[in-house]
Amino acid sequence: MTLLKTYKKDFSSKNKPPVVSVVGISKKFPGSIALDGVDFTILEGEVHALLGENGAGKTTLVKILYGIYVPDRGEIYVRGRKAQINSPKEAIRQGIVMVSQVPQLIDKLTVAENLILGLEKYGFITRVGKVRYFIREKSREVGIEVDPDTEVWKLSYTQKQLVELLRALLLNAKVLLLDEAITFLPLIEKKKFYKFIRDFANKSGSVILITHKIYEALEVADRITVLRLGRVVGTVPRSKVSPDVVRKMMFAERSSQVTYERLPMSTPRESAALEISDLWVMGDHGDHAVRGVSLTLRAGEVMGIAGIAGNGQKELIQAIVGLRRVEKGRIRLYSEDITNRSVSKVRIRGVGYIPDQPAKYGLSLENSIEENLAMLPSLTNRLINWGSIRDLARKLIKEFNIMTPSPKTPVKFLSGGNIMKVLVSRELLVARRLLVAYNPTRALDEVTAIMVRKIIKEKASTEGIGVLVASEDLDEILQISDRIAVMNSGRVVRVFSSSEAVRDEIEKLMVM
Amino acid sequence: MKVVLVKRVKPLPLGGLVIPGASIVIGVLISTVVLYVISRADPLVTLSCVASALVSPEIVLTFLFLTILGAALLVAFNGSIWNIGAEGQLWLGTAAATYIALFTALPQAPAIAKVAMVLTAMALGGTWAAVAGVLRAYLSIDEVPVTLIMNYIAYYIINYLVRGPWLGKKTWGYIRTDMIPDQVKFTLLPGSTTVTYEVLIIAVLALIAVYFMLKYTSLGLRIRILGSNPDALKAAGVNVRALIITALTLSGAIAGAMGAAQLAGYLHRISYPIESHTANYGYTAILVAWLSMLDIRAVPIAAYIVSALYQAGISMQIAGISSASATYVFIGAVLLTFTVLRVFSEYSLRVIRG
Repeated sequence: MTLLKTYKKDFSSKNKPPVVSVVGISKKFPGSIALDGVDFTILEGEVHALLGENGAGKTTLVKILYGIYVPDRGEIYVRGRKAQINSPKEAIRQGIVMVSQVPQLIDKLTVAENLILGLEKYGFITRVGKVRYFIREKSREVGIEVDPDTEVWKLSYTQKQLVELLRALLLNAKVLLLDEAITFLPLIEKKKFYKFIRDFANKSGSVILITHKIYEALEVADRITVLRLGRVVGTVPRSKVSPDVVRKMMFAERSSQVTYERLPMSTPRESAALEISDLWVMGDHGDHAVRGVSLTLRAGEVMGIAGIAGNGQKELIQAIVGLRRVEKGRIRLYSEDITNRSVSKVRIRGVGYIPDQPAKYGLSLENSIEENLAMLPSLTNRLINWGSIRDLARKLIKEFNIMTPSPKTPVKFLSGGNIMKVLVSRELLVARRLLVAYNPTRALDEVTAIMVRKIIKEKASTEGIGVLVASEDLDEILQISDRIAVMNSGRVVRVFSSSEAVRDEIEKLMVM
Repeated sequence: MKVVLVKRVKPLPLGGLVIPGASIVIGVLISTVVLYVISRADPLVTLSCVASALVSPEIVLTFLFLTILGAALLVAFNGSIWNIGAEGQLWLGTAAATYIALFTALPQAPAIAKVAMVLTAMALGGTWAAVAGVLRAYLSIDEVPVTLIMNYIAYYIINYLVRGPWLGKKTWGYIRTDMIPDQVKFTLLPGSTTVTYEVLIIAVLALIAVYFMLKYTSLGLRIRILGSNPDALKAAGVNVRALIITALTLSGAIAGAMGAAQLAGYLHRISYPIESHTANYGYTAILVAWLSMLDIRAVPIAAYIVSALYQAGISMQIAGISSASATYVFIGAVLLTFTVLRVFSEYSLRVIRG
């Protein structure tokens, strides 16, 4: 409590004027309170991080600033004047532009066409040539090449996010709202975006950076505001805080659960849960993404696959569960050949799968938690016993602390982290013999992420299931794995046992 | 210059009953204007025709047929499978029932024959729809044109049968089949000249079955999820191909049952050519499905309104108020309004210079 009081004081430097102030904002959703009397100020020329655990209300707050939600109570002031922001159009008129984690571009149009469209929609008139020039100049400046005349579907995620940012600049943004817009970018490219943000702030723009990652906030933000359960815990300048302090603000007493120590080794059984021999799998672009991978995973063992995104991990995992055709090589599940078997045949044998695009391959967002459980063939018969599904849903909601008004709420109304919890808890439930996962703790806050890793490890140990975890987060790999395979350009370049694994060496092999 | 539809960041707040309600009102108003322009029908007379159709007993049979077909379409539409082929599926149902009634020995046991007529009709309607399902599931061929084209193939197959092998012996020069035996005709409700017990039972069963299927079976749940996220379904280990085929087959089977009811309860024979004898219920039912917002509980309500519009058009034509097919003016205007409202509640139209 004392901690809380200290932070309530605003450390804001008085020489910068506030651009946007939010006073006493409250927002209720059916069955839950998203924001409860939030005060929040963003100054000119600052990068202000908004941190909080999953479901703390971060996204709700920026959606209010961007006019997607209308608050139940409270006021918004822009440059000291009261503003009624009822639509994104009005927000943009006030110089506030949001970029979310999911690109909103139209795939079949070119980059330039997309940007012109975005401009005209809000009444900005400009010449096509000028937009093209702007894209070329800016992308060169940032260091991520984007051709204005490419169709958007050909772009990588990083390029799309850059286009979104450029769109915001063209809309004359004074305040950028970044809702996990850079959280999921590959590490190297993330740095370029940090610089972009910094430059924007130095030219007296303001940035609200929403993230659930403490280190990201500490790396770029000038000030940090922490939300918990819809309330402001406090606002602190970066220079005055350490990760531990921020963590305490985010999780209170639960912050002591955060540890990056290696989890205790599990005891692998004799039998092999998964045997992969000389596996070749095609990628999306017509060349081999997996090039002759051979691995053996014992029952009861957790194997981590380290590697930079795009080195074949995704394709390897999809091939195991049957979502991608194997060109050559064999996959055996407890000695049974499952090469090129259908997903239904693989999954029904007790294989849990946490995919890399949870909203696409994991859950159906329009449907409820109950329905997302009942859709799995391994959890229901022809007739659905909704009573037992409800009990199961309640159990998972409790166990994983999923913040939802009810098990019947469509999943799309949950926060990003809570959506991930639904997926992870379901897949842990159905993984009776094998769990394959890609970034299993993506979008989860630290406390939940560590809880999930512990549950996975324990499940491997006690139930003797095999676990294969690919992750772009090396901390995660180091914490959870009994053995670590490093993937680079579609090949496993080396396998370490957890005791001999050295971070530097792994990183070197990843970028080699 | 390119014209594109852009998804709104924030959909227009037109939830629940607003869109179906508004499209009925606006659609009828547009119809009065159109009918005035093309055949000088007094708008007030048009409106009074619609009003009196709402309480006319003559709409009951159409209402029941559209309810059955609405239920049929919902099975597919809930999975974003656009079965435009109920028309062909129901007519093949009619043909199958005709075959049982005229060319087998079953009518000697009337109860068995009636059941057999409905079941064969369902089998044939289902199989017909399954063809489009297989093409969609295995070759990714869009089911919309396939089911649509198959309606005409169904018409022509039946036309061939009626002119050739099925041509009746006592037809007084008309090209049509013989009348089905009296004992396999459905039983009229007391006081009605068109509505039978059997068609009522089929409609109630169709509603209950589809409601139960969508709500309490994993098949129904998966069909609903197929409409929003087929990728998640596949990754969960659901055989999506089989699911698509099953959904279309069930949809076609229910439409086929309506075809049997149409024969045994009302038409009693098939006349050549189908395309000028059909009431086009298979197409009209698409409007029923949309106005119900794909909620099975709303299907009877939507079917009631659409059958009233249908009847209003027919009475205007009979009374000589309108020379055109007023029915299709109503149906078309409402469906068009509905579609426009739906699209613009979620999308906005943009023009790109370029």
